[in-house]
Amino acid sequence: MKRATLGSLTRLALALVAVGIYVLPLYWMVSTSIKSPDQIFQKPPLLFPAAPQWEGYRAVLGLPTERLNLYINMAVYLKNSLIIASATTLLALVLAIPAAYALARFSFRGRTPYLLFLLVSQMLPSVLLVIPLFVIFKSLGLINNYPGVILADTALALPFAIIILRASFLQIPIPLEEAAWIDGGSRLQVLWHVILPLIRPGLVAVAVFSFLTAWGEFVFALSFLQKPELQPVSIGVFQFVGMYTTNWDAMMAFSTLISIPAIVALLVLQRQFIGGLTGGSMK
Amino acid sequence: MDQLSPQPPRTLLAFQNRLKVFRQGSLRGRVHLTPYLYILPSFLFLSAILGVPILYGIGVSFQDYTLASLVSKHAPFIGLRNYLTVLQDPAFATALRHSVIFTLASIVFQFTIGFGLALLFSKSFPLNNVLRGLLLSGWQIPSVATGTIFLWLFNLDYGLVNFLLTSLRLISQPIGWVVQAESALPAVIIANIWLGIPFNVILLSAGLAGLPEDVYEAATVDGANGWQKTVHITLPLLQSTILAVLMLGFIYTLRVFDVIWIMTKGGPGDATEVLPTLAYRLSFVHFNFGQSAAVAVMILVILLVAAVGYLRFTQREEQFA
Repeated sequence: MKRATLGSLTRLALALVAVGIYVLPLYWMVSTSIKSPDQIFQKPPLLFPAAPQWEGYRAVLGLPTERLNLYINMAVYLKNSLIIASATTLLALVLAIPAAYALARFSFRGRTPYLLFLLVSQMLPSVLLVIPLFVIFKSLGLINNYPGVILADTALALPFAIIILRASFLQIPIPLEEAAWIDGGSRLQVLWHVILPLIRPGLVAVAVFSFLTAWGEFVFALSFLQKPELQPVSIGVFQFVGMYTTNWDAMMAFSTLISIPAIVALLVLQRQFIGGLTGGSMK
Repeated sequence: MDQLSPQPPRTLLAFQNRLKVFRQGSLRGRVHLTPYLYILPSFLFLSAILGVPILYGIGVSFQDYTLASLVSKHAPFIGLRNYLTVLQDPAFATALRHSVIFTLASIVFQFTIGFGLALLFSKSFPLNNVLRGLLLSGWQIPSVATGTIFLWLFNLDYGLVNFLLTSLRLISQPIGWVVQAESALPAVIIANIWLGIPFNVILLSAGLAGLPEDVYEAATVDGANGWQKTVHITLPLLQSTILAVLMLGFIYTLRVFDVIWIMTKGGPGDATEVLPTLAYRLSFVHFNFGQSAAVAVMILVILLVAAVGYLRFTQREEQFA
């Protein structure tokens, strides 16, 4: 370990302050979620809740609480989000793997235009897509059911999924793949049995990214799913905003629970995410 | 999460290099069908879910498309009338003005803070990696969670922001952040700045990591201090990354909808109405799909101009690289 100099300690102090300010909203969310209503409406605000209260969590998980005016059961929203996000992940992987492989391994006319097409399709705002998609999906019977939202969410996740996976494929040496062909595998067999296991970190990053995209997606779910029994967690919280604005402990408990997948994924998979974002297609 | 779908700024450089290699290759070789078969499913999918709606939306923007049309599936062609109506509507001018303020303020602060943090974290100090991890921890949380967190932080009576500002004597009276017209736009801008910081830090850190070290060593030998090195070496060398980050920031900020809709729904009144919320409201509140599509097409045109600028810029840079 390097010796700490005065300069490095100054930088540490600066970084601690900056990160402290950045993390404050997240800290405030979690700490509010474990406060009692009295503590929440205390002045000055209680910065460090003494004993955690779980009533906010009980309330959103549909367990009995003392507040009769509050009833919101997260379980249905969680189930819907799990279905939508899992299906989106699966569909994105199925579509992205062959495309990313071809973009990494073949030289063909149209490859660069296709990569540009992917870049531009990432920039399209979902609020612009949602209006015509609503009209089209309405006539196809894709409103108020899972498939419509899954298709739209997959379109959001797919371009980035292809770009990250392509970078993963590029890191596998071509001779290794050729050696496997010589040993008697077809291109698809080698891809499935040899190459895909080798790019597992890339696959995990893509799967997690696609899952999180669909998990937190807001506009499509808001517009396509009007039946409460089909809505995902993002809409569950949104309805909270209008209805139960004084139950901040429950609202922050709900927000904490739906943020956990993203925070955990980012802390664990930080390198893959950042690698996919920056190094991506340069390699 | 859509506003955070990330985008590598230097990707284009690599694409251009590949283009050269590939053009030489394909002129000599046979055209194989295999790669097209691998690409086809994703291409058809994206064309159907992204391409068709865009074209359909452009079509609708020239039609008198209302709730009745949704049922009868018939909407008369009315040329540019939707565009003219929207452009003459004061609501459009207001939304445009808010969009400009929202986008510029967000970018300026996200970029400045992000650049400062990227510079700080490019130096070595204890716990660097741990703190950097924490700095990115909120990057992918659902936008609806960000919205509710900031609603609570900006609460008039019990919010942390008013408590801190009054304690520091920066304000004498608590501010009704999202319930007052004059402070609502700053409130959603602050939430959006917070959202965008990880993205800026990541891209600018990557740019900094790619700078040659020997230039800095030479400058140190010549007696340059840290500030001089930043202004005279880092900024010029990082110019292309900086411009790419700013242009992507523009594209991703102009289209922000979630956080605003969750925090204020464009209100109070029209205090936080921006172009995307106006387009959404015209469709899903007023059911005037034609005018909504006209607004959407205008946003799309602005975004495409920025995207083309970004792509051309990265291409031009590549020629000097």
